[in-house]
Amino acid sequence: MIKKLEEISAQALRDLEAASTLEALEQVRISVLGKKGTLSDVLKTLGSVPAAERPAIGAAANEWKRKIEAAIETRKASLENAVLQAQLERDRVDISLPSRLPHRGSLHPITQTTRKIIEVFSRIGFDVVTGPEVETDFLNFEAVNIPADHPARDMQDTFFMGPGVVLRTHTSAVQMRTMRNQSWPLRILAPGAVYRNDSDATHSPMFHQVEGLWVDRDVKMSDLKGTLLFFAREMFGADAKIRLRPSYFPFVEPGAEVDVSCFLCRSKISDSCRVCKGTGWLEILGAGMVHPRLFEMAGYSEAVRSGALTGYAFGMGVDRIAMLLHGIPDLRLMFQSDVRFLKQF
Amino acid sequence: MRISWNWLSEMLDLGKVDGPQGLANLLTARGLEVEAIERQDQGLEKVITAKILERLPHPQADRLSICNVTTGTGDPLQIVCGAQNMRAGDTVALAQVGSLLPNGAKIEAGKIRGIVSNGMLCSEEELKLAETSEGIMILPAETPLGRPLAEILGRNDTVLVLKLTANRGDCMSHWGIARELAAALGQKPKRAALELLDFKKKGPISIHLDADEAAPQFFGCSIDHVKVGPSPEWIVKRLEALGTRSINNVVDASNLLLLELGHPTHAYDADKIEGGEIRVRTAREGETLPLLDGQTVTLSGAELVIADRERAIGLAGVMGGGNSEVQPGTSRIFLECAEFDPVRVRRAAFKHQRRTEAAQRFEKGIDPSALPHVISRLAGLIIELAGGEIRGACAAQTPSRISPKRPEIEVTPAYFEEFLGMPVSAEIAEPILIGLDCEVRKKGSQWRIIPPPYRLDLSIKEDIAEEIARSLGYDKIRERIPPLSSAPQSIHSAIQAARFAQTNRAKDSLMRAGLSETLNFAFTSKAWLAKFGMTSTAPLLNPLSEEHEVLVPSLIPGLVRNALECWRHHFGSEVVPIRLFEIRPTFFGTFEAIRALDEQNTGVEERWSLSFAVSGTRFAGGLRNEQGEVDFFDIKAILETLFESLGTKGVRFQPLSASRSKSNIQELFHPGKSVEVLAGKDVAGYFGLFHPGKARELKVPAPLWIGELNWEVLSRLSRPVYESPAFKTWSEFPPIERDFALLVGEGVTADKITQVALKAGRPLAKVAKIFDVYRGSQVVGGMTSVAVRVIFYDESRSLQESEAESASTQILEAWKKELGIQLRS
Repeated sequence: MIKKLEEISAQALRDLEAASTLEALEQVRISVLGKKGTLSDVLKTLGSVPAAERPAIGAAANEWKRKIEAAIETRKASLENAVLQAQLERDRVDISLPSRLPHRGSLHPITQTTRKIIEVFSRIGFDVVTGPEVETDFLNFEAVNIPADHPARDMQDTFFMGPGVVLRTHTSAVQMRTMRNQSWPLRILAPGAVYRNDSDATHSPMFHQVEGLWVDRDVKMSDLKGTLLFFAREMFGADAKIRLRPSYFPFVEPGAEVDVSCFLCRSKISDSCRVCKGTGWLEILGAGMVHPRLFEMAGYSEAVRSGALTGYAFGMGVDRIAMLLHGIPDLRLMFQSDVRFLKQF
Repeated sequence: MRISWNWLSEMLDLGKVDGPQGLANLLTARGLEVEAIERQDQGLEKVITAKILERLPHPQADRLSICNVTTGTGDPLQIVCGAQNMRAGDTVALAQVGSLLPNGAKIEAGKIRGIVSNGMLCSEEELKLAETSEGIMILPAETPLGRPLAEILGRNDTVLVLKLTANRGDCMSHWGIARELAAALGQKPKRAALELLDFKKKGPISIHLDADEAAPQFFGCSIDHVKVGPSPEWIVKRLEALGTRSINNVVDASNLLLLELGHPTHAYDADKIEGGEIRVRTAREGETLPLLDGQTVTLSGAELVIADRERAIGLAGVMGGGNSEVQPGTSRIFLECAEFDPVRVRRAAFKHQRRTEAAQRFEKGIDPSALPHVISRLAGLIIELAGGEIRGACAAQTPSRISPKRPEIEVTPAYFEEFLGMPVSAEIAEPILIGLDCEVRKKGSQWRIIPPPYRLDLSIKEDIAEEIARSLGYDKIRERIPPLSSAPQSIHSAIQAARFAQTNRAKDSLMRAGLSETLNFAFTSKAWLAKFGMTSTAPLLNPLSEEHEVLVPSLIPGLVRNALECWRHHFGSEVVPIRLFEIRPTFFGTFEAIRALDEQNTGVEERWSLSFAVSGTRFAGGLRNEQGEVDFFDIKAILETLFESLGTKGVRFQPLSASRSKSNIQELFHPGKSVEVLAGKDVAGYFGLFHPGKARELKVPAPLWIGELNWEVLSRLSRPVYESPAFKTWSEFPPIERDFALLVGEGVTADKITQVALKAGRPLAKVAKIFDVYRGSQVVGGMTSVAVRVIFYDESRSLQESEAESASTQILEAWKKELGIQLRS
């Protein structure tokens, strides 16, 4: 009987090795271990075996059963693995098909540049202030030392809305508003849209400025220069340089045009530089020491008389800086809302 | 302004200046910006004089000839020429190989129809010496050969084009620039010796100042027996180089003097001055005046005029009269050199649209001390050019000019260094000021500085500081970051800064939702607004064009236009997705007519709007069937995300169809697929599908979702930027979920179902959400099958099944009672 068990078992192990599918394997299992399986059949005849031999045969039968079961499990795992492998062979995506890309939003380059500028100045204590775009002639001109009939009014072609009402031509109006509503010391930055009656590739009837104002005791022109050098380095790189040239803006005295060294060619002057056009310098700022007339208009006269209340102011064209930073060739692109433009930034 | 290098050289020694470029650098560094340098010989550098030795026909072309020319030395050159007007023996202009002519032509050695040509014989047109010309330029026979053409023609000057700032009227002449440079170069500018006229020897014409301080000085001079005729060549050339056309010797003298000394003068035909008197008076309203330019103007009554006894003969400071013009044949002239009020001149020039050279100088202010000198120089120049003899000279001045007061500026020399932050000692400052013609009077440590009379821009100590700084160079100013003396009192600015930050937060949220920020002009056309049923209450008085005539009352018309433009510019069969937003002010005039209410208020309300336009696929990429098209719920998601990131509280959505307010903007929306956004009782805005009817009118090619929210309201309801969202805890105990399949009748909205469930299931029902909606053949007509999941939990303990069961029963009852909803069997 032991021999028969061995034969059956050996046959079973051979069969299940030969089973090439899970179904065939199951067939083998049933044919050996099932109720009517060969092994079961042998065990059913156990009763006819002398009692003394039974335990040994029983143990042997169980041993074989365990072996067969273990072999089935192993075979099953191997077959399952083969099935999975076969499945994985077939289960493929074409990874080169287009992705389900979400729409990528964007902020206007003018917004981004404004934020950069604010970030730099906020690190040395400047606060953001804002004001209306429709402004009184008084705050836009009169109070910043550009009285009616002054030749300096020619510098800014103005849009008029009614008697004494204009579209602000510069954010200097916001400075004056702030000074009139708030006492010194002041470190303010006024970003916003401004308007001039002019339109071509380099002039837009609406454009953007950031204007800065620092008012305190003993503010010197060297402070203005230091602040602007800090700005230039933070904005355009640690090796940026600035150059001040005397100029005239009615709200400052002394006044200066401020050039920043070209951030592309690093002022290695070459005619081919697309940014500075070979000059090595970028004209991006106007600046100067606050004209005492403005303090008078702000109601700071007392402070001016009692001590050295001084201040500096600067203004820059955001649109132009954004154009330089991104290499945008025509200012008009900024305001055409072409998605091909807007999505690039 | 144009400045001639040659003329300037007559006034100054420019030997130490590194040519025109060096001069330009020096001027720019002093605040007189040089925009351009124009060399008169530009393009003529390699054009020289040559003589044609022989002219032979071209063997290949009838219209061409072969000229052998000599430049005086070396071998003759063979040139192929297409002109017909030259002969052997003619002296001509030869552009040598390598020339880059003023018209842009580059001359290279080469063959023309098989014959070698070593240059080109030029026409005046090609050299930009004339607008048009016939044939090549033939020079006088005695012209020396091999010489640069520019030299032969006297085109050897260089013109500097200056962009003067509005404060430096004193630099609007060669003399003014020379004076400025003299200070920089440590020189004294030279000018011709001059004999002043004798103003006591009165002539036949008397002067009357009838306008007081509006015309405080008038110097006149009568000259008889002048011969009006053409000016000598040097004057014609000089005037032309500086942009002025030669007219005749008398007028040219006046114009030349303007360029030399910066003071406008005028010459009248003395025979046309009626009554032997000149009056400076205010014009009479309606009075007419024929001007030199041939047009007659009607005066408003505000202008200053020069008049004789009968009539106006000149618009003071702007332009002379045509009725007193010096013409060929005039023999008696009267010269004017006067001072007029800058504002009066400026207004007259604007009013009559004649911003003449004279007006530009008067409005910036002329040197009030220079008049006797100027008229004497003018008289001398005219006699030199046109002959004649002086009959008399006269002067009229108001007391303010007879004994003028000059400003005195008090300052301590230490101030300069303190204010500028650059090394300036008294020893440095004083010579600079003296070099600039300032008088420095010292009293102890106090200086009293008296600027020269021509520097009308110097009146306060800051002005003097600028003179010092620009003389030393702004590059000498130190650089430092100023110390913070104290914290700014920034309540006013903090509010604005917070609002600015909140606007940025909204922009970021919309960007994350895949929208691109755009910026439209604040102005648009009435016609475009009308297409949206809108009118603006904020028109411009002087718009750039009809396209920009009014300020916008809404951002939507601009965004719709953007969408249409983007679609129009897009090539290809796909409709390009539009995802635009804008946060900008809209403008409302609150009064009938816009005018300043006081110093700070315009009466124009600026209401910021947050607006968007969205259309097209839900995804930017992917296969078509996966992308889908944006629908109402995508738009709703954008807004819900926005409100969440802003921490906006108290905003409700209401179907547009249920709106109780009336507003034109509602007409822009599909009534069934749009929302009125409410904030308390106020309408905070609208969003939804652009009305299909409007879309058809405007040829919008795809469904366009638009929205406009009142940013003023929204930002007020949003969490202030300085507040942080508060942490909320969650339950650690497992929730129990119950799903219900409901049959819902017409008119019951999803939010009603969830609201009723949450209310009836209190306190354990914490979440109720709709997760499926079905209408169709499986459901009784008119009914909708809605699947709702309710989640029950307690933050502090585990729930019993029975508790969820009884809460569910309450919910079902409430649904049935309040909304007539039944469970779907």
